Amino acid sequence: MLQNRVKELRARYGFSQGELGERVGVTRQTIAFIEKGEFSPSVTLALKLAREFEVKVDELFWLEGEKPS
Amino acid sequence: MKKDFRVQYPLWQMAFIILFGFIAISLTGASSEMIQNDLEFSYSLQFPALESILLFITLAMTFILLIIFIMKITNHNKRHPQQKLSFWQIKPIEYLEEDEGMIYITRRAAQKVYTFFVWALPFVAMIYLLFNLSRLWIVIGILFLAFMQYLIFYIEVRKYLSKDED
Repeated sequence: MLQNRVKELRARYGFSQGELGERVGVTRQTIAFIEKGEFSPSVTLALKLAREFEVKVDELFWLEGEKPS
Repeated sequence: MKKDFRVQYPLWQMAFIILFGFIAISLTGASSEMIQNDLEFSYSLQFPALESILLFITLAMTFILLIIFIMKITNHNKRHPQQKLSFWQIKPIEYLEEDEGMIYITRRAAQKVYTFFVWALPFVAMIYLLFNLSRLWIVIGILFLAFMQYLIFYIEVRKYLSKDED
């Protein structure tokens, strides 16, 4: 199971799910699935999200049981 | 998204399947007569009163639904010119594929449908083998499988989309 900080960072940057989706080229629903941990994004999408939030991918996503970087 | 025509499409198919079932009931209740010889060829169908009424109502409803269905597709194509739908496309209309999240939902729903068929097809085949069923029951069995296919797909997609909130 992949954990993530997408919701937290999205709130910090003041993006709605739709806005973030538009910036990385996916639908609002996909952002919602990622935030809930129901869907693990591809490496490409993970990289795009990390770039939007100006963090490394492993600061944004990490495996359950491991501490985020 | 829940109002997206592609999400609602299985419901339309389910409605058409029910109507087709009524048409099958009407037609199998009819008696047919075919004359074919050197002098003439004729084919006639005679419906009992109840079947006639049923067939008439069903055909009328099918026609009305078909018009609404075409209008819905036209509206969808106007609103989403980048995701145009067509009657004649090979890929099922209900597939959501605009990004990897939607592909994931479609894959999950399609997997559930596949699992259903893995069990249902041998089961139905066994029933047809064991029982001497009429043409109507064979058609109803096939329609039941098709109905369940759309129902499972719809429930699975809705399950994901109903959880989504901003």
